[in-house]
Amino acid sequence: MTDALRFEWVRIRTVRSTYWLVGLAVVLTGLVAWLVAYGSRDEALTPELTGVQLNGAVGLVPVPLTPVLVGLLGVLAVGHEYRHGTIRPTLTALPHRSALVAAKLIVVGAIAALTTVVSIAVNSVVLWVVRGDAPAIGSAPLPAALVGYLLLVVLWGVLGVAITLLLRSTVATIVVLLVIPLVLEPLIRGLSFIPELDWLKSVVPWRPFAAGARMAQTFDIDAATNQIVGAGTRILTRLEAGLLFGAFVAVVLAVGWALFERRDA
Amino acid sequence: MGTVIVAAGLRKAYGPKVAVDELSFEVRPGVVTGFLGPNGAGKSTTMRLMIGLDRGRGSTVFDGRRYRQLRHPMREIGTVLEAKAFHPTRRARDHLRMLAAANGIGDDRVDEVLALVGLAEVSRGRPRGFSLGMGQRLGLAAALLGDPHTLLLDEPANGLDPQGIQWLRDFLRAFARSGRTVFVSSHLLAEMALMADELVVVGRGRLIDAGPVADFVRRFTTSQVLVRSPDVERLARLLLDDGADVASEDGVLLVSGAETSAVGELAARHGVVLHELTSRTASLEQAFLEATGASQEFRTAGSAS
Repeated sequence: MTDALRFEWVRIRTVRSTYWLVGLAVVLTGLVAWLVAYGSRDEALTPELTGVQLNGAVGLVPVPLTPVLVGLLGVLAVGHEYRHGTIRPTLTALPHRSALVAAKLIVVGAIAALTTVVSIAVNSVVLWVVRGDAPAIGSAPLPAALVGYLLLVVLWGVLGVAITLLLRSTVATIVVLLVIPLVLEPLIRGLSFIPELDWLKSVVPWRPFAAGARMAQTFDIDAATNQIVGAGTRILTRLEAGLLFGAFVAVVLAVGWALFERRDA
Repeated sequence: MGTVIVAAGLRKAYGPKVAVDELSFEVRPGVVTGFLGPNGAGKSTTMRLMIGLDRGRGSTVFDGRRYRQLRHPMREIGTVLEAKAFHPTRRARDHLRMLAAANGIGDDRVDEVLALVGLAEVSRGRPRGFSLGMGQRLGLAAALLGDPHTLLLDEPANGLDPQGIQWLRDFLRAFARSGRTVFVSSHLLAEMALMADELVVVGRGRLIDAGPVADFVRRFTTSQVLVRSPDVERLARLLLDDGADVASEDGVLLVSGAETSAVGELAARHGVVLHELTSRTASLEQAFLEATGASQEFRTAGSAS
């Protein structure tokens, strides 16, 4: 296992995409933090707004910045091996396939967590520079939302590895990773407003990516939407949402991992 | 000392197409064993099955252990499977450092093998711009990283220039002479004849022949004497009485088991007029064709080239 970890650590540090993705995640969320901090510089800062600044508005969009960039890091961790045929030399050096998968998950997960922590720190500095006061990260719902944010990013990283193990193609994986949250899930929500398709309302809370976003939310978008359109869909708690997205990732990983063990390299 | 490799009952099918069919053979240390077969005969698939990259039936053991059971496989078995298996922008040296890290091999060994295969100058280069030959050298460097006692090489001469091929040949022979094991595939018999001591010959996924190169050549190359004469029937009878094998084709005799001089003298002794007396020696390539002749893939590939 240590051999696999050493391998993966060298592997991920010797491609330029790693630096690009991590750098982009920190810089882009930093820009969002600046935008929000600057726009709200004359107002009192609520914990909800502080959350949006610190996490780059992660709970407000279906495909959020840091998670998707770290997800790509996971995609490339497996996708590069297939795209450039290095999967064979890799498995020749490390014939225990499960050790390789575990090492990729650990390294991607660790970089995901580190990127998130660094990004939160950078955004805190941005907020402090623009507004002159440090963010009060101790007031609710920030502690839970920031932990949720960290876990969300790690889960996206794991999901990237998992789907690519399943599909063995970088392009196919990226398409799936974008089509589900950007097309499929909003479609289900939209159709649920049609009276004839009323039953879809019971499906709406169980959309995995929407649940993922709830893990990091400081503004409850779903409750607000319910109020506006008068739809009585169920609202998951942060914990329930986290468990749902986690279970979704776990199932994809289990299938991808099992196939990777059985397939030709 | 190199390992004894025992492959038993290797089989791999892609849907209805059987790529490797109940293939069993042994590879001994101390000699270069060539793995010979036309393109599409299943050589690469066999090599992938041997180290567990492809999932199929049968087993391959290296001194009794499967590849998966080796703690640091690259320190025991060096493998070159395909020429360009590296990330285009990962520096050559980093590619090797990555594989070395997986087998507890230090970075100084990385620089050593880069120098050994003649890539020291481009070790900081990105393989995107590498030629096929340079890619082949980088693959070989990876195979040698762990100073293994056994080498499995799939068409390693592909893309190498003549000097590179000469170097490879000398290297593999010296490697084997030091008591280590070399199993190297090729679809070129001429190359194998220069490099290998033993052969495992396959066609359409099946074993055709295994044994010393010289035996293979002797078994499949027979020299014949072509004779044209107005009196073929009488000459044929005389030759048969003399113990030779005679085949008749369009009034031409093809004689096996007799030298041209013997045929000429026999004809002279009995006053038979000869119009032509030619010796025809089947080349190694012909032997190879004959041995693997059943392969449809080869015919298609042969007529295309």
